[in-house]
Amino acid sequence: MVSILAWSRIRSPWILYMCTGACNACDIEVLAALAPKYDVERFGILLKGSPRHADVLVVTGAVSRQVAPRLKRIYEQMPDPKFVIAAGTCATSGGVYWGCYNVLGGIDKVIPVTMYVPGCPVRPEAVIDAVAKLIAKLKSG
Amino acid sequence: MSLYQVPIGPQHPAIKEGFQYNFILDGEVIVDVKLRLGFMHRGIEKGMELRTWTQGIFLSERICGICNVPHTTCYCLAVEKLYGIDVPERAKYLRIIINELNRIHSHLLWIGVLGMELGFHTLFMYVWRDRERVMDLVEMISGNRVTPSMNCIGGVVYDITPEMIPIIRRNLDYLEERTKYYKSVLEEDPSIRARTVDVGVLSTDKALDLCAVGPTARASNVKSDVRFDDPYTFYDMIDFNLITYDTCDVWGRAMVRVDETLECINVIRQALDKMRPGPINVKVKRIPPVGEVTARVEAPRGELFYYVKSDGKETPYRVKIRTPTLANLPSLCEMLKGYYIADIPAIVASIDPCYCCTERVIFIDPNKGKKWTWSYDELRNYSRKYYGVGV
Amino acid sequence: MSTFNIEFIVKDLMNAFPNKILDYKLDGARSVFVSIDASILHDVIRYLKDRYDLKHITTISGTDLGDSIELIYNLSPLNRRILVNVKVKVSRDNPHIPSVVSLLPGAVLYEREVHDLLGVVFDGHPSLERLILPDDWPEGVYPLRKDYKVEVK
Repeated sequence: MVSILAWSRIRSPWILYMCTGACNACDIEVLAALAPKYDVERFGILLKGSPRHADVLVVTGAVSRQVAPRLKRIYEQMPDPKFVIAAGTCATSGGVYWGCYNVLGGIDKVIPVTMYVPGCPVRPEAVIDAVAKLIAKLKSG
Repeated sequence: MSLYQVPIGPQHPAIKEGFQYNFILDGEVIVDVKLRLGFMHRGIEKGMELRTWTQGIFLSERICGICNVPHTTCYCLAVEKLYGIDVPERAKYLRIIINELNRIHSHLLWIGVLGMELGFHTLFMYVWRDRERVMDLVEMISGNRVTPSMNCIGGVVYDITPEMIPIIRRNLDYLEERTKYYKSVLEEDPSIRARTVDVGVLSTDKALDLCAVGPTARASNVKSDVRFDDPYTFYDMIDFNLITYDTCDVWGRAMVRVDETLECINVIRQALDKMRPGPINVKVKRIPPVGEVTARVEAPRGELFYYVKSDGKETPYRVKIRTPTLANLPSLCEMLKGYYIADIPAIVASIDPCYCCTERVIFIDPNKGKKWTWSYDELRNYSRKYYGVGV
Repeated sequence: MSTFNIEFIVKDLMNAFPNKILDYKLDGARSVFVSIDASILHDVIRYLKDRYDLKHITTISGTDLGDSIELIYNLSPLNRRILVNVKVKVSRDNPHIPSVVSLLPGAVLYEREVHDLLGVVFDGHPSLERLILPDDWPEGVYPLRKDYKVEVK
């Protein structure tokens, strides 16, 4: 039973996407990864609407103070095992928003992160590479 | 019967960035809307005061990733006004080209997002595939797909070489043919028309009173576009049309954007024809003189405004930015009244904002003047009892 | 519609409100800053609205000048060809000024924003609530005031 579950996770991780106070450039690049040119759906990845359905949380944006509790709540609502991809320089470390009073910094200040993807904005190829590495990591246990 | 308030806030499948709307509903009909912003608030105006004049360009570019080019253009126009300098002719045409490429990408993105909001995912996939051509052109010119960072104080930093021009023209021809196809889809497809015609109506008088800008206003027959009213760079040398529609609904706003995309292609062609060889920037001193200026440009969503004040130091004294979405929010609240919950994604998308959703429910009893909330646990227990699952 | 001459509008204002128009400065060919006394703000805006159709308010910019807070109301007519920036000063310790929402309904969010970030109170505003700062932001702390310092790591 466990191996079937592991197999299904590796074959098609479902992602939930959340923006936490970004400029939107990373958001549209993550969406572009779903569009026909980069087509992340060929890996079995689907964009889902609810945290209850998702395996992977893709977060962009330097966390604003207002959104931090919501991010934590979304993370807690996801069933285990769950993985978090911090897409973009802002999600990794706060990026260009140093010295901005409403920004906490990278998302690892709020939730644990599995994978960091740098870039301003992050390229769709980098997002696909991150998901492929995640699948490889799942395969190897 | 009590009206109830449903907040739709920062994480939501329908929307991509952070606002919170509190819809006050009578059954399924929206009676009123209250706004709660702040999820995307980063404190940028204060951040600008800590950065040098050049570093400010990069921060202004990241206010909005989709319309980053108008932001840098407006900031550079304002600072150049403080210096009292004029950029070279070639730089003005290059600015026009990169601004219009950005407008095409933004409008095509919006058509795809409209498709997604209406549940028409095929349209989203088709349009975003064609939009990649624009991203490739921007990457060819500047090295980055989304944020070209092309503007600098005194002009631009990247040039268009003669080898790039036939590639640009070829891609523009392709985009023109595809945009005409999407225009026919929006005009003829019965499902799109059923969801957008006479939905989210904003009358001309209301649009003027509430100071709407951009395609939101132009679809309500308000003839205003900063490129015509207060031309910057060389827009007054280029021959193009101000697109307005008088239907005042979501469909009108879609048609304004599609027609503007066709006009943008026309503008870029003229700019490429008129551009002559020459320098692309001028050197400026590190610190501008004391003064205060305003600058306006037409971003894809409407009039973008910057107020910059210098006190002769390395960093600005004050930078005030007014983005077009903020100007359209009062109009949005007006447009939503009287329509159904199911119309919310289409109407909200029609002003072309950037945002997302979440949260709890607030009950209001207007007869008794009572207001009460339920915590997450109370809501959960109520639903378990209701469905007979056991608390 | 004809484009208005900025200098003409300023001279007309100076005739209509003698001694209350403190200063004016041109800002490019199509924009002007006009400093006025805060007591006549409503009258000036009504005058500009009725006489020159300056009904579109672009924004209200607030700046902390140290000894006072300066508010700039950016107004333009239907054809948006010119920009008249009306400047008023309010005291930092008692920053009250009448709201202009009754004259310009589009100003409703701009006044909330200035209230949130600079602490100016617009008397008569329909709902002067928090707009963009987080719910747990401390009361009485206004980030755009110069005495609010940001830590840079």
